[in-house]
Amino acid sequence: MLETRNLDKSFGAVHVTRDVSLKLERGERRVILGPNGAGKTTLFNQLVGELTPDSGSVHLAGADVTALPVAKRARRGLSRSYQKNTLFDGLTVEENLGLAAAVHTGSATQLWSDSLAKPEVREIVEEVAEQVNLTDFLQARVSEVSYGVRRQLEVGVALATRPHVLLMDEPTSGVGPEMAKGFHDLLNNLPRDLTLLIIEHDMDLAFDVADTITVLNYGEVVFDGLPEAARGSSLLKEIYLGSWEDA
Amino acid sequence: MFRHNALRCTVLLLLAAAALFQALTAGYFGLEILTEILILAILVLALDIAAGFGGMVSLCHGALMGVGAYAYAILSAKAGLSPPVAMAAALALTGGCAWVIGAICARSHGIYFIMATLAFGQMAYSYVFEAPVFGGDDGLGGIARLDLSLIGVDLNDSRSFALFCLAVLGAVYGASVLILRSGLGRSLAGVMHNEQRMRALGLTVWRVKADVFGLSGMIAGLAGVLAAQHVMYISPGLLSWTVSGEALVVVILGGLGTLVGPLVGAAAFVLLKHELSALTPHWHLVVGVILIAVVMSRANGIFGWIEACWGGRAERRAAKAVRKQKTKEVLSDA
Ligand SMILES: Nc1ncnc2c1ncn2[C@@H]1O[C@H](COP(=O)(O)OP(=O)(O)O)[C@@H](O)[C@H]1O
Ligand SMILES: [Mg+2]
Repeated sequence: MLETRNLDKSFGAVHVTRDVSLKLERGERRVILGPNGAGKTTLFNQLVGELTPDSGSVHLAGADVTALPVAKRARRGLSRSYQKNTLFDGLTVEENLGLAAAVHTGSATQLWSDSLAKPEVREIVEEVAEQVNLTDFLQARVSEVSYGVRRQLEVGVALATRPHVLLMDEPTSGVGPEMAKGFHDLLNNLPRDLTLLIIEHDMDLAFDVADTITVLNYGEVVFDGLPEAARGSSLLKEIYLGSWEDA
Repeated sequence: MFRHNALRCTVLLLLAAAALFQALTAGYFGLEILTEILILAILVLALDIAAGFGGMVSLCHGALMGVGAYAYAILSAKAGLSPPVAMAAALALTGGCAWVIGAICARSHGIYFIMATLAFGQMAYSYVFEAPVFGGDDGLGGIARLDLSLIGVDLNDSRSFALFCLAVLGAVYGASVLILRSGLGRSLAGVMHNEQRMRALGLTVWRVKADVFGLSGMIAGLAGVLAAQHVMYISPGLLSWTVSGEALVVVILGGLGTLVGPLVGAAAFVLLKHELSALTPHWHLVVGVILIAVVMSRANGIFGWIEACWGGRAERRAAKAVRKQKTKEVLSDA
């Protein structure tokens, strides 16, 4: 469903993506682990097209999309959430979700009707709000809600385009354990045919949702396989300096 | 995102009532000033859609207005098209020009966007100034007004023409609200708040910007057609960048991104200009000081002040209600 072949990227002298080849099957749930600065976010940016790789290619549903701009890849069913909230701050939660749903339903450029009032848009907004526990916050402006709520909305906006492939960049970063547990339930309730690629620091969460695990270190794939095998890997122990045993 | 609220409706109704009263009772000079305000109001509505709601701060809206005026003048006076056809063609042409400018400038932001639009405006200005068909420095005269004798209206009468401009302004305001409340307008709000995210959601951002800029340019062109019909004579000065600058001043003075504010700004600006220029040739200085005061006060223009006062009143009323409630409680406790 989503594949990279020999992806390579440098920022000046810093080599942030080294020959990364990944392959996700339809419906696969893969977690990317790796220390800060390993190049996880940079990899996401190349997958969605916000960054152009120096060499290598990105394939979506069998087609080479390396040359496609961000919006075109998104319209082919690729969606992402950001590590740092990237929302429409002055607008309400409902409008945030509605803007995303409108793009998906094709009413985002119509001049003769209000996209946010369309029944198919409202339906998606309500469904997603339910999924990410935002039903009580729909009328609140993003600038008025707590960080945790914004974090949920960050994922909600990505879900409201009804993607086939969803990339989530540290969805639980900065939220308390209780809310992280909520995300965990959310992930497990997503449709099984949705392909998921998640960057995650929380080990429990990672091992709970992952079908497969990829570990990045210094821009390089140092492990790629099943969670059980990852647990035993000595290389991982080294990278995570023992925080492993707790997992 | 555009939201109509009680305050906006109130101010809008007051403005409409004042304009209507003026149109029905004013003498010749009053009607001239009113018409000038109404045409400027159409231009600044166009600019507010692009700049206030889309972050596209344009310095070519004066030139677009000029394109509309010249297109109408040439097509009706020289090519012999009937005024309604010439008007429709002028609007289509201005809209098309604006769409192309919007599409080309869509990738640039902030100061670069301003400079790019300025460059397009200056190109149009120098072309009109130099091409002989446009009459160069002398401009073009003999421009006819629309013929509405079918419905018994003679637009050559200045009262009728002022009322006509008021009706057009009303229609343009309605159209602006519809644009801002359409799917396109909603997406524009998304782009204004977070362009990167809109793109990541799958929106072709440049298309949205170009479409909105095209519509905005068409409205500016309509202001140009009315200006040409009003004075019945046009000169290249209409396309000068200072016209765009003045429009921007009016939008900021009135309240960027409020739609109603720029209408207030247009009235304030034209009235100030006429009152002050009778007193002193340095009226620009006074307008400058007022603009600085508005910008420094950190309110969003005159409409921002009105909003703050209104909000203050509502707060005071709420506080009073709470006080009353408390007194009641104290009394009932006792
Ligand atoms: N736009 C950029 N320009 C220069 N260096 C960058 C840029 N983006 C990321 N980097 C560098 O690339 C490395 C990987 O960053 P990132 O992908 O954000 O890591 P991670 O998400 O795994 O924590 C870091 O050293 C970071 O400083
Ligand atoms: Mg990161």
